[in-house]
Amino acid sequence: MKVRNGILKGELKVKGGKLIKCEVKIKDGIIEKIKFSGDFFMHPEEKIEELEEKLKGVKIDDLQNILKSFFKKIQVIGVNKDDFLAVVMKAVKNS
Amino acid sequence: MQWRLILHPANDAFSNMAIDEALLRKGIPTLRFYTWKPSAISIGYFQCIEDEVNLEECKRQRVDVVRRITGGGAVYHDENGEITYSIVCPQNMLPQNIMDSYSIICSSIAHGLKYVGIKAEHAGINDIIVNDKKISGSAQTRRYGNVLQHGTILLKVNVKKMFSLLKVSKEKISDKQIKRAEERVTSIENEIGEISKEEVINAIMRGFREKMKIKFFEGKMDEKEKELAEKLRVKYESKEWNFKR
Repeated sequence: MKVRNGILKGELKVKGGKLIKCEVKIKDGIIEKIKFSGDFFMHPEEKIEELEEKLKGVKIDDLQNILKSFFKKIQVIGVNKDDFLAVVMKAVKNS
Repeated sequence: MQWRLILHPANDAFSNMAIDEALLRKGIPTLRFYTWKPSAISIGYFQCIEDEVNLEECKRQRVDVVRRITGGGAVYHDENGEITYSIVCPQNMLPQNIMDSYSIICSSIAHGLKYVGIKAEHAGINDIIVNDKKISGSAQTRRYGNVLQHGTILLKVNVKKMFSLLKVSKEKISDKQIKRAEERVTSIENEIGEISKEEVINAIMRGFREKMKIKFFEGKMDEKEKELAEKLRVKYESKEWNFKR
């Protein structure tokens, strides 16, 4: 589903009922802007903003590795760490 | 160990969330019970306010909306329909594993509810259920070396009102595996009829006393906590905070 200003949206429902959503703007294979949302838990919480900032300017092909290293020190509850990549990919495919 | 018990009168959403954060920052072992006036929606830290809340309807029905410091989902806090609790203590007083700490707190509450005749049990991550229906949900954060867990215990359910205020994701409703929300939620009144809040609170405290070996003394917020809560209230009332995602 393509929405205004070239922002792609993805939504993933996880086993157990939690939901993770992603809005991402990509230009020439590079992430310009990304936002995750949903009813999951992440500890510490503010790391989500750090992640979104870190992903700016990242090639979509490098996303997997960056997420992997980011999540080493982060605890996620209600969704899996892999779901963050999956939901971005879902958004990209939706385009 | 003696824990402080704070019984607060109804407050608005912004004050309630500011008080919980102030208690968290100070970390004095505390169990607080409170209610919301006016009724309010709280959304999880990671949620997008516009995706979750029918803001126009909230305005029309004079329901406040606030973003929590904790993750999890959107909750409708009815003025007369729930008891909210928050529990705060240093991290080393609870299991380091977050799931284990949810378990000890939620099972203490579930244990307490048995004393008002409700067969409750901890289920999933942080729910308390009665016959497979949810009666309580909670959320936890860990900051400043301390833990805050807050959650609701439903006294009455008003699903119609709740649904008029919340936007339910299409994907979530279209999942045929899941029974309709009305059938998945219960309340103390549904289970045992009318009962006073005091009786429920006493039962929950008994649950904590017995399961976690906590002793309570009734106390108040200290001056520093009050001052902090006043300052934090400004954040919780701000557009910047509530619309940040």
